Amino acid sequence: MKFKKLEPIPAKRREEMPNSKLGITFKEWKAKKPNKNKWRNKRWAVLLFFNFLFWTSFAFHIGILEGSFSGSRFIGIYLMDPYNAMQEMLIANRTGYYAMLTTNFFIGFFVILMFYFLLGGRTFCSWLCPYHFLAENAEKLHNYLVKKKKIKEHSYNIGIKYIFWVGFLLLAFFTKILVFETINPVGIISRAIIYGPGLLLLWVVALLLFEIVYSKRFWCRYVCPIGVTYSALKKVSPVSVKFDLDKCGHCKDCQDVCLVPHELWFVKRGEATKEVHFTGADCTNCGLCVDICYGDALSLTIKGFDKIT
Amino acid sequence: MKKPKTPELNRRQFLMNGAVAVTALTAVGLGANYLKKLNVENSKSLLRPPGAVNEDEFIYACIKCGLCVQICPVNAIKLATIKDGLSYGTPYIDPRAQACDFSCDALQCIETCPTSALDFIPFKTAGEEAFIAYNKANPNIGKDYNPIAIQSKAMKANTTMGLAVINLDTCFAAKGKGFKGSPREDGFDGVYRSPNPKRKERKASLVNDHAFNRDICDLCVTECPIGETAIIMENNGNIMTPKVLDACTGCGVCVMVCPSSEDTIVIDKLKTV
Repeated sequence: MKFKKLEPIPAKRREEMPNSKLGITFKEWKAKKPNKNKWRNKRWAVLLFFNFLFWTSFAFHIGILEGSFSGSRFIGIYLMDPYNAMQEMLIANRTGYYAMLTTNFFIGFFVILMFYFLLGGRTFCSWLCPYHFLAENAEKLHNYLVKKKKIKEHSYNIGIKYIFWVGFLLLAFFTKILVFETINPVGIISRAIIYGPGLLLLWVVALLLFEIVYSKRFWCRYVCPIGVTYSALKKVSPVSVKFDLDKCGHCKDCQDVCLVPHELWFVKRGEATKEVHFTGADCTNCGLCVDICYGDALSLTIKGFDKIT
Repeated sequence: MKKPKTPELNRRQFLMNGAVAVTALTAVGLGANYLKKLNVENSKSLLRPPGAVNEDEFIYACIKCGLCVQICPVNAIKLATIKDGLSYGTPYIDPRAQACDFSCDALQCIETCPTSALDFIPFKTAGEEAFIAYNKANPNIGKDYNPIAIQSKAMKANTTMGLAVINLDTCFAAKGKGFKGSPREDGFDGVYRSPNPKRKERKASLVNDHAFNRDICDLCVTECPIGETAIIMENNGNIMTPKVLDACTGCGVCVMVCPSSEDTIVIDKLKTV
């Protein structure tokens, strides 16, 4: 959500923008950024490593990272999916089951909140979530089909994810079932990786197909309440993508690759209100915009420190 | 993704999309509620791990993380598939394939459960009470002082997964038949810890590694990890037949070792003596 309190800084002329795309050839442009997939490669390595670690821990009884993404234990420290934990506490409060929730449950809940506060909230989505990995690749296919004019792009209001967030909590409260966990593709894929695939993977396939042929990144953008939970932490977290107005050429390439382009609203010419902006709550710190930015106007940073290299 | 030009249009889009979202949520909620009703019948057939709370609580208490599956040393616990409807992803035990044989001694699956779907508190209490009682009975710490075993035994005995029900129509003993050799078919890989005190090895071993020679088959009685408080051979007319007593925890070792057919012994979740 953008609230314009400040007046935008007047747009510069093209000659004053060092990184403008205009006036140079594609070859010169391309030569500016040799390593285009730096952050993506790092991120995919981390994502695959941890998903693989879940599997190896169980398959070879190593016991480093036990459980699955809905609840796990990392070298003895419990970690809980916060949205699951919140549903659990809501139901527990209603049924009087509350007293039975273990100490480990609360340790897991607060450790994960602390952890993702330090690491930038929705960092979970792009750096760990197995569904994100599949959807990110499905998105490429979707973009290709849109480019070839085979299909049309359909977009919705980004705010409806808050309706889903409240809605699934209410559903858990009234039906006394963890409704979301039964349809949660993150949990389904995670369990499929660790304990062997099941028929419910068809639901994930259906979701991916819907994202490919109809609406880009539908689940991650408009539905997933886990992402919304983490985005609340992102709001206050020090890890963020930093934007330098000085270096920006306003080509908006970053918005094209971004999962949540509205968080990069300041890259449009004449919109930025400050010299330095940080991305907001929905940003997943995936680094795709950092990779694509030819002028290094965008960088992953810890607020108050220099950028993370 | 293009944002609507004006705040009015934006709000309108939000309301329209939001209405669809609310409809979808309602549909999901009603569907889940319907499945829950079906599930009450369905989940009766699922034998839950030790310490499981009631089925209607279990369905929300379990977050489907699978930590109990991972900690089980004999791999008795499995996750239910989509066949079991709403119980998808929740743990269960198929005792015929691999029973819970208590060889972990400490009920690790219960201890590991973060949401108390497998509730540890009753076991802890039972263990502590046994510990205190033992200390009272043995004030002098001597060579035989071993409260850990007593504690562990009390915790095991506190388990109520279900009750073994024996079908005397197919039971070997009821027909007066004996039994010789390995109890299960070739290639069966279930393991258990034999309670036979003559065996020095106290680790879990393959069921088929044990060879038996009985005039009247009584494997379910001799291999029971709880012992004679749970199951005994009883004189039934002129033949000896096994009889389940109220200390039976429903662990399912008898189901696994039974050399007769699959449905000779079943664990009934709801039955109590």
